[in-house]
Amino acid sequence: MSHETVALAITGAILLGTVVFALYSVRRIKMDPTQYIVGGRSFGTLFLWILLAGEVYTSFTFLGAAGWAYGKGAPAFYILAYGTIGYIISYFYLPEVCRIGKEKHLLTSPDFFQARYGSKVLTTGVAVLQFLLIIPYVTLQLTGVQIVLSIAGYGHYDATVAVAAAFALIVIFTFTAGLHGAAWASIVKDALVLGAVIFAGVVLPLHFFGSFGTLFDRVLAASPHWLTLSAGSTPLGMNWFISTVLLTSIGFYMGPHSIAAVYSARDGDTIRRNAIFLPFYQIVLLLVFLAGFTALVVTPGLKGAAADQSFLLVVQRYYPAWVLGIIGGAGCLAALLPASAQLLGASSVFAKNVLGEVRWTRAFVIVIAAGAFVMWLFWNKTLVDLLLLYYNGVTQFTPAFIFGIYWKRASAWAIGSGIAAGEIVAFYLWHHSIQIWGVNPGFLALLVNLAVCVTVVWAEGASACATLA
Amino acid sequence: MRAALALLSPIMLTVAVPFANRVEPRVFGFPFLLVWIVVWVAAAPLFLYGVYRLEPRREP
Repeated sequence: MSHETVALAITGAILLGTVVFALYSVRRIKMDPTQYIVGGRSFGTLFLWILLAGEVYTSFTFLGAAGWAYGKGAPAFYILAYGTIGYIISYFYLPEVCRIGKEKHLLTSPDFFQARYGSKVLTTGVAVLQFLLIIPYVTLQLTGVQIVLSIAGYGHYDATVAVAAAFALIVIFTFTAGLHGAAWASIVKDALVLGAVIFAGVVLPLHFFGSFGTLFDRVLAASPHWLTLSAGSTPLGMNWFISTVLLTSIGFYMGPHSIAAVYSARDGDTIRRNAIFLPFYQIVLLLVFLAGFTALVVTPGLKGAAADQSFLLVVQRYYPAWVLGIIGGAGCLAALLPASAQLLGASSVFAKNVLGEVRWTRAFVIVIAAGAFVMWLFWNKTLVDLLLLYYNGVTQFTPAFIFGIYWKRASAWAIGSGIAAGEIVAFYLWHHSIQIWGVNPGFLALLVNLAVCVTVVWAEGASACATLA
Repeated sequence: MRAALALLSPIMLTVAVPFANRVEPRVFGFPFLLVWIVVWVAAAPLFLYGVYRLEPRREP
């Protein structure tokens, strides 16, 4: 058998096996909307941990983290920092979101806006924005699958058909099994990804260099400034690092799929325990950096997006096909499971909050997936650019949740104007590629958002006093 | 106390990073900046567990 047959057969068997396992596990669950969208609000600490690790750590956490270590160096370390701070922030407000979700039977992120602010316009606007922001993320996962499958095929065939097949499998799976299915499949995904990452981050460097110290010596010998950040306002310098860590950690849970996971928790304490234990999973990313640095020394010269393929190419070149097949399976699951959760989030938001018909959620999983696939085929390049908007865009929703819980005076008008201002600034800076002092544009947008929100609350207070007087 | 425990890692991973931005001293061969970040990431669960234990007792 040829290399690519072995590798692709193993990758395919892993995908199929995972789907069958998950479908078997959920066979007795009757899929009403609460079961389907938020897992019946029944997930305990361990199961929620598995689901969150399953949907937070996508193929681009891994390919991208290695690619950044390979192509950019120290700026990659932001990925390690932001998740950790994201969990710490979540410890304080997500248990409340979970409690309110349970009390008021919320299913989607915009539902929270309806319950707290009582404005149909605000809720629908937020729903449309969330939908538009999440779709490029789904299509990005397809690019992840494409990278993995074309490397597992040793570049001997066009991966588009295989991507279509893998995506179709996951879409049917999502249609059938909902959030329960995603959580069960995450068990396989988390375990495989952990194994693959330990291989890539420990076995690879020790094989080539004998010790991590030698690996870093080699990296530093080639480029002495690779492992430190550049000064202040330079591109990807210190200002960028700090503002990006703050922005992305504040927006960490703002994807509609993540809020669904929060509702799926049994109670607030489940969320707190998860916030405590999830940073341990972050350490895995250190190993991914090591894999990226190893690839940089072993196969230098990959440019731009090709850097994302770096450590897979090392595995392809130096290891047997079955190793590549297993790592390929882990890589595909790392792309497809988050895609499944994101599809579920997108379709529930669209069906429930834009159309007002929650029972259409399942059908929309298929419709949205088909749309995402077509977009991916024709506008791949544009979508990668749009993805830069994702974090900048979704983070603008965070004040609505935090103020919604802790600040009584925050009103629909204040939150709505804040979000609108934040999104406009984020879009404007992105569209014109403007950077100010090297600060992440999404962070500036968040500051504008907060300023507008607070000003409107203050103005409302002033006018209310004036009316009373 | 709880706020201080919760804020320690985020501060060390953001505004304190400029002070840790160097290669030397190496720790087990790892560059200092990376060690700094990994240490505060790894410490975060311990601090957060401290916060959890210090929570005022909730009714069962």
